[in-house]
Amino acid sequence: MSAAREMLCDTARAVFAEAVTAGIAPVEEAGFALLLVPEADGGFGGDWGDVNAVLQIAGVIIPDLPVAALIASDALQPAATVSLMAGAMGQALVLSIEHVNTRHQFGRPLGKFQAVQQSLAVMACEVRAVEAAAGALAARLDAVGLDPSAAGFEIAAAKLRANRAVGVVTAIAHQVHGAIGFTREYDLNRVTIALMRWRGEQGNDAYWAARLGRQVAGLRGRGLWEALTVR
Amino acid sequence: MQGFALYPFDPPGDIGALRAELRAWLAVNQPQGDIVARANCWASFDADFSRALGAAGYIGMTLPTRYGGGDRHPLERYVIIEELLAAGAPVGAHWIADRQTGPLILRYGSEEQRERYLPGIARGELYACIGLSEPGAGSDLAAVRTTARETAEGWRVSGQKIWTTGAHFSHVMLALVRTEEGSERNAGLSQLLIDLDTPGITIRPIIDMAGHHDFNEVFFDDVLVPHGALVGTRGQGWQQVTAELGLERSGPERYLSSHALLATLIDAAGADPDPAVAVLIGELTAEMWTLRQLSMSTAAKLAVGEDPMVEASVVKELGNAFEQEMPRRVQAIVDCPWDDPGDLGRLLRALLIASPSFSLRGGTREVIRGIIARGLGLR
Repeated sequence: MSAAREMLCDTARAVFAEAVTAGIAPVEEAGFALLLVPEADGGFGGDWGDVNAVLQIAGVIIPDLPVAALIASDALQPAATVSLMAGAMGQALVLSIEHVNTRHQFGRPLGKFQAVQQSLAVMACEVRAVEAAAGALAARLDAVGLDPSAAGFEIAAAKLRANRAVGVVTAIAHQVHGAIGFTREYDLNRVTIALMRWRGEQGNDAYWAARLGRQVAGLRGRGLWEALTVR
Repeated sequence: MQGFALYPFDPPGDIGALRAELRAWLAVNQPQGDIVARANCWASFDADFSRALGAAGYIGMTLPTRYGGGDRHPLERYVIIEELLAAGAPVGAHWIADRQTGPLILRYGSEEQRERYLPGIARGELYACIGLSEPGAGSDLAAVRTTARETAEGWRVSGQKIWTTGAHFSHVMLALVRTEEGSERNAGLSQLLIDLDTPGITIRPIIDMAGHHDFNEVFFDDVLVPHGALVGTRGQGWQQVTAELGLERSGPERYLSSHALLATLIDAAGADPDPAVAVLIGELTAEMWTLRQLSMSTAAKLAVGEDPMVEASVVKELGNAFEQEMPRRVQAIVDCPWDDPGDLGRLLRALLIASPSFSLRGGTREVIRGIIARGLGLR
């Protein structure tokens, strides 16, 4: 990550932490709405790579606040949601790993049980896939100057992939946490409920699968590969 | 875990031109193979094709020119490999030599070994196989029992390898053997380059349930191998092998080897597909696109000299699951009789039968998940 983006992320973390109790106001005041606005127009001149990084943090710290709507246009909301989902899934994994390494049962940490290790490996693969999808989508949006129609393929593929990961990630996160993860006071539900909500927002699985499928059918078999590799 | 870093896939040169060049070459040189052979093309043996591909400079691309290589960037090689696989080119003969054995000899081999083996590999004429698995060991690579005893005249090798892909057409085996008497597990192992025409070696075929002959049993009955066959450092075989496995687990073959089925499904569905088929195509496409991003990021990490052990395992785990599910999901949606004579039917049947092997080769799913769990700090 570039130094500038790291600074941006540090700022986002501090502002979002304040926003947890104060609502959206601190985020608005910090000027995140200007992130994508060019410097010449008084904005910060950021790119979608920056948005992706900031929204991943938002997905962890303030999943309930409408940060994405503040930064991105309506047409880019599905892409913004993918970034939020990547962040929330990463957090579900972090919490799960911490829990199984701390919680002892049957005389050893849960994480030492092979069955638990295998479940978390499956979960980590899903999280990694969504992070990669969000990163690749960001790269595409930046390459086409944030034109949503030129990134239609990537938006559909990334949102669909993120949606499909939700079931696996939320199920395993709650399973390895046991009852504590199902309480209101423990942090896990903040991200898992948000993930369940985001799966259905900005296009559910059926919507994007049908849309992407029809688009690809128009390319024909060889055309799909050619379309993938010109990007 | 702090999240995986995504490495930018940024090859030098004009990649669009490189793709176009290879596509044009394939249009002239690729045999009109059967659709089923094209589907699992990294297991399709065609010596003439391998030789032509080598002559065109598409094998041993990353090897130095003084060994007959192309001195190209690893990500340029990646682009060529994904194009070959997407086209279903029969790359099976030289596959292992190009992907693993060549780079390993360059990295760990002696000057004599490099001069002896690398030019033939780059020409697409010298084939290699990997001697890791042994009877009774399964995925437990550290359970190697084949021994190599150092004597005045050379190494005396005794033991047996199994599941050795391509041993029956390969010229040389890169074998993991126990060189320290009484050593256990992953200590005391070394790698030897063994010419397969050496007296005392017996190769027996194992025919798989699809009727193919890929695997073999290889017996070593007090085989005399020259001192110079030792690769790298005596006793460091385990470290060398694990570095090699990163090359094996992350490539585009982990999600592209059955690309032909997706392409054929799309062609069979037509421009206005049945809604259920459209959904299936969309889901498979999203997965393949994501896998390609993961695989490219892992290749980029390898290219800058880092060891992407965990990332490579993620690609293998997700890629194998994708390839294994694809024929099952197609069968569940598309009405296609078992003995359908069309392209889609024959391909579907062949891949359904082949698919159990996808999560076995290159390390079983459970072992791969164990590597990922270690990367997560759980072991």
